[in-house]
Amino acid sequence: MKNRILNLSRYVILAAGLLFFVFPVASAIEFSLRSYGNKGHTFANYSWIFQQEDFFTNITISLKLAALSAVITLLTVVPAVTYLHLEGQRFKRIFEFLAILPLVVPVVSLAIGAQKAMPTFIQNSQYELAFFYVVIAIPYTFQSLNVGLTSIPLKTLVEASRSLGASFGRTVISVIVPAIRSAINAAIFLAVTLSFGEFTLTSLLHWETFPVWITRVSQGNVLGSIALSMFSLIGAWTLLILVQSAQNVRKKKVSKSDVEESEEALI
Amino acid sequence: MTSMKEATTRKSGGFSSLLKTLPLAPFSLVFIFFFCWPIFQIVKNSLDQGKGHYGLSAYRLMFTKPYMHAFATSLQLSFFSALTAGLIGAVVAFYVHRSSAGLKSTIAMLSGVLANSGGVPLAFMFIAAFGAQGGIVTILKKLGFDIYGAGFTLYSLTGLILVYSFFQIPLMVLVFTPALEGMRNEWREANNSLGGSNFQFIRWVLIPVLFPAFLASVLLLFASAFSAFATARALTGGSVGLVPLVIGSLIDGNVITDQANLGDALAVGMVVVSGVVMLFYGFSLRWARGR
Repeated sequence: MKNRILNLSRYVILAAGLLFFVFPVASAIEFSLRSYGNKGHTFANYSWIFQQEDFFTNITISLKLAALSAVITLLTVVPAVTYLHLEGQRFKRIFEFLAILPLVVPVVSLAIGAQKAMPTFIQNSQYELAFFYVVIAIPYTFQSLNVGLTSIPLKTLVEASRSLGASFGRTVISVIVPAIRSAINAAIFLAVTLSFGEFTLTSLLHWETFPVWITRVSQGNVLGSIALSMFSLIGAWTLLILVQSAQNVRKKKVSKSDVEESEEALI
Repeated sequence: MTSMKEATTRKSGGFSSLLKTLPLAPFSLVFIFFFCWPIFQIVKNSLDQGKGHYGLSAYRLMFTKPYMHAFATSLQLSFFSALTAGLIGAVVAFYVHRSSAGLKSTIAMLSGVLANSGGVPLAFMFIAAFGAQGGIVTILKKLGFDIYGAGFTLYSLTGLILVYSFFQIPLMVLVFTPALEGMRNEWREANNSLGGSNFQFIRWVLIPVLFPAFLASVLLLFASAFSAFATARALTGGSVGLVPLVIGSLIDGNVITDQANLGDALAVGMVVVSGVVMLFYGFSLRWARGR
């Protein structure tokens, strides 16, 4: 009896939760299909999005910045965390502390500082944004790499490779990088999603990227702006779900093959 | 002679060990130039009185009524949205924790996705749903609940709490679930075999054990609501005077003040508040792990 009540209350709570998230989405989709003057539902608001000439320009800019942030993360955060796990144990605590700090400083505060601190030649280039995106993402990228690397016996692997006569470069390319690949992928994914959606710093530094453009173009067309918002939200959700399920599949595969390997070792 | 040799070896040892830390260099450079340097500049600017003088006049202005009011509004919003989302999210996490593995991983994935949605599109979505002409408002009106007639408006503190819940509840589920994984089934069995009721189990076992983790999660939500900017700006356009929005209008030059560095002082103020919150977050995390 008790269990049945508990089960029932569980379904009630899950259903209520689902409604809280599904209702606004469904209702906004319905709204985005409306037409001016109540002439029934159409896809006109969605085709309006693609008629905007700036649409593709801004998507391209955002994609470029996201790619650049990924590269910068790869060149800065990845070597640092890997090193901290291999040799730099004594610096680990300091860097872990530093990596939290961007979470403590609100992006608005960073923006006002960036506006004053950056030399003109940097302020004149839109690519300055990528560096700030990387910094804002550091608490997440650093942490995810840090956790990812803890589960790998990296030091043993490197020692084995070196004692078998591999050069340092060879060790990096054929031992370290393959071992930490999934941790790197997760960190890059975080950097890319953050930079693609960043609005606060970008708009306060007066640059236009896809999220900032949405706000500007929305001012003249209410229905269009809602269609555009739903387009970008659902696009982002689909992408996130695809990537996460791909990661889950890989995780399952890896754990399965690990088991098989250990079984083989036992035999 | 020997001492000189020693000195040179030590020196070259120092240099080569410095060379070994090279992998830390790119990270440090980017961090110093794009993070530490701007923060230093805000602090310096907030104290700058012009003509090489330094003083506190920007902070004196910050402690006057309109700006203190903005801080109070921001803190109020962060407090209520963190508490609402924290309580609801904790209950959801608790029920999800007791569900099948399949449902668990689905909810975990959905939470990860929803916790990441924010910004301007989210604000527009809620305008379509909960605005005066919004779908949900129209349906409720037909059912006899005129929420706008009852004084609700999306463009207010209550409205912002509602919108923030959309990403704060999933965030809570995400950060609070690991704490639940540490619960043991034996605890409930022990409680039951000692004759404890369900209520007693919740009151004397569950709540005391989970409280530190709950506090840490809520503080994290607090910090995220406190510094949120895009959603609030798109939704209220500035009608709710939050500190980040005030700073934004100062940067854009929409607000004229004779104190040019007021924005810097407010930015430092925000860093201090969120620093204190994160400090408590660290303490409660340690408290939670100590168990």
